[in-house]
Amino acid sequence: MSKLNGQQEGAQDALPEINFENTQIDISDFNLWDVPGLVALWALSGIVFLQFFTRYVLNDSLAWTEEIARYVLIIVAYFGAVSVTRKGTHIFLEFFYRYLSPQFGKYLTITMEAISMLFYGYLGYQAILLALKTRTKMASAEIPKSLLYWCVAASLIIMAGFSVYWLARKIRQSPRDILREMEEHALHEIPELGGKK
Amino acid sequence: MTLVLLFVVLFVLLIAGAPVAVALGVSSLVFIMLDGLPSVVVLHNMVNGINSFPLIAVPFFIMAGHLMNTAGITTKIFAFARSAVGWMYGGLGHVNVGASVIFAGMSGAAVADAGGLGNIEIKAMREAGYDTDFSVGITAASSTIGPIIPPSLPLVVYGVIADTSIGQLFAAGLIPGLIMAFALMIMVAFYSKLRNYPRDEKFIFSKFLTSFGHAILPLFTPIIIVGGILTGIFTPTEAAIAAVAYAMLLGLVVYRTLTWRGIIRVSMDTVETTASIMMIVAASAIFAWILTANQVAEMFATELLSFTDNKTAILLIMMLIVLIVGCFMETIAAITILTPVLLPIAMTVGVDPVHFGIILILNLMIGLLTPPVGMVLYVLSKVSDVPFEKCVTATAPFLVPLIAVLLLLTFIPEISMWLPTALYR
Repeated sequence: MSKLNGQQEGAQDALPEINFENTQIDISDFNLWDVPGLVALWALSGIVFLQFFTRYVLNDSLAWTEEIARYVLIIVAYFGAVSVTRKGTHIFLEFFYRYLSPQFGKYLTITMEAISMLFYGYLGYQAILLALKTRTKMASAEIPKSLLYWCVAASLIIMAGFSVYWLARKIRQSPRDILREMEEHALHEIPELGGKK
Repeated sequence: MTLVLLFVVLFVLLIAGAPVAVALGVSSLVFIMLDGLPSVVVLHNMVNGINSFPLIAVPFFIMAGHLMNTAGITTKIFAFARSAVGWMYGGLGHVNVGASVIFAGMSGAAVADAGGLGNIEIKAMREAGYDTDFSVGITAASSTIGPIIPPSLPLVVYGVIADTSIGQLFAAGLIPGLIMAFALMIMVAFYSKLRNYPRDEKFIFSKFLTSFGHAILPLFTPIIIVGGILTGIFTPTEAAIAAVAYAMLLGLVVYRTLTWRGIIRVSMDTVETTASIMMIVAASAIFAWILTANQVAEMFATELLSFTDNKTAILLIMMLIVLIVGCFMETIAAITILTPVLLPIAMTVGVDPVHFGIILILNLMIGLLTPPVGMVLYVLSKVSDVPFEKCVTATAPFLVPLIAVLLLLTFIPEISMWLPTALYR
């Protein structure tokens, strides 16, 4: 929000000088649970860049990189989904809530959170079964494919856990607070707005 | 009957505010269980639905856009556009469109455009004394150019779901994007005449050169990305990682505006946006699988074709459906739900999947500017402190040129298809 306030401070001359260096970037929403997703993203960047580099500079692309990159993308998606669930910023439609009474809105969002929780939990259980059944290895490397399903299973179960947290929080919150938070979450996509408060 | 239930459960959950991925997943799970299929199919599809090399472009196009905003590169582009077209009447309006076109060549999302560039644009237009409605309207409308001009996240997602070449889709978007810019500039000229808007500043060649000098390195980004993809040197995924590497180079080494804090911020936002999009794509994989296995598109096509077999009428009906869905649904979610239903019909009346992709995305972009779920309007309302309702009315006139372009593109496929045909076919 600091930027929004800065915006109203008096008019400057013709060219707006916006000093990005001086704006303290806010990373207060960082949490240990975000680390796996970040590491996966950086690993993916490294692998894809390596593939790019070996293909264009060394003229000999590494064969294993494509398959591994696809699996790491899946891991980025699921580990990242843990962060998304922790913050409650999944993409959802919130417009309908503007036409509801806050009280009914509260019940509705609690129901949806419960459904999400059950869904993540059930999928997590399925992922464990699938991981136990998978015996194959990756085509290009000596890594068991079940490792991928274990990562997915872990993410889904942690997601279910965060869902429980939200459920408990929403049950205790006043309807007004819930609606205010929902609106903030619907705007999460725009980091420039500091929508994560 | 269970199919009807699939759609009912999906829409009830969507409207009730369940996460889009959960709504898609739960409705599919209910269908699979009632149909007596093993429910592990759901998870299997949700993992393997995103097991795709082109999708790797998604996080990197997101990251490149965030890096540009965080490293202050956006500001340099705006200054350059200002010195280049600011001398026209209604100058800042033209600058607004021009900067969006350049930024479109670097970033893949309309919302990144509105949040980063839109912030700067509205601020500058306010200080220069433009009416708020004009500033908000043109900023909102010009941000929709982003996903049409390559690179484009929605086109990557569409390409993966429709199993269509992303390189061709990117090529097909270039000319329509420029036409959109042109149509919006006509609108700006019209407003300027009507309201007597001033020129921004005289064209001063030395000033133009200076700002060009400041912007020249960032201006290479669209050339690397768009040029690299269209000439076939890069795949979209490679272009995406190249853009990230280049933005990092600019931010860390050349301008030194990117701090480690900034990189962590950008990475966190990238992970989050990527995960939200990928969860929807993953969940839509199982949904699309059910639709295909049950020949839903064929059933829908038979219904529609029994009603009329006129290609124009069918295209109009489909565009109307997309427009309505686009008003209520987020872009990526709408693409994943609509593509498996509408694309087969479009193809039976002879529409090329590449052409269909362009008109689908442009149509959904218009949905970003309309209530009740106009993401770009929400962003601008926050950025500019203009109430949401006022943003809606301010943007409404600018829908006219955009819808005109949409109709033009729908009925003259050559506009979209000329470049991909020339390059790839």
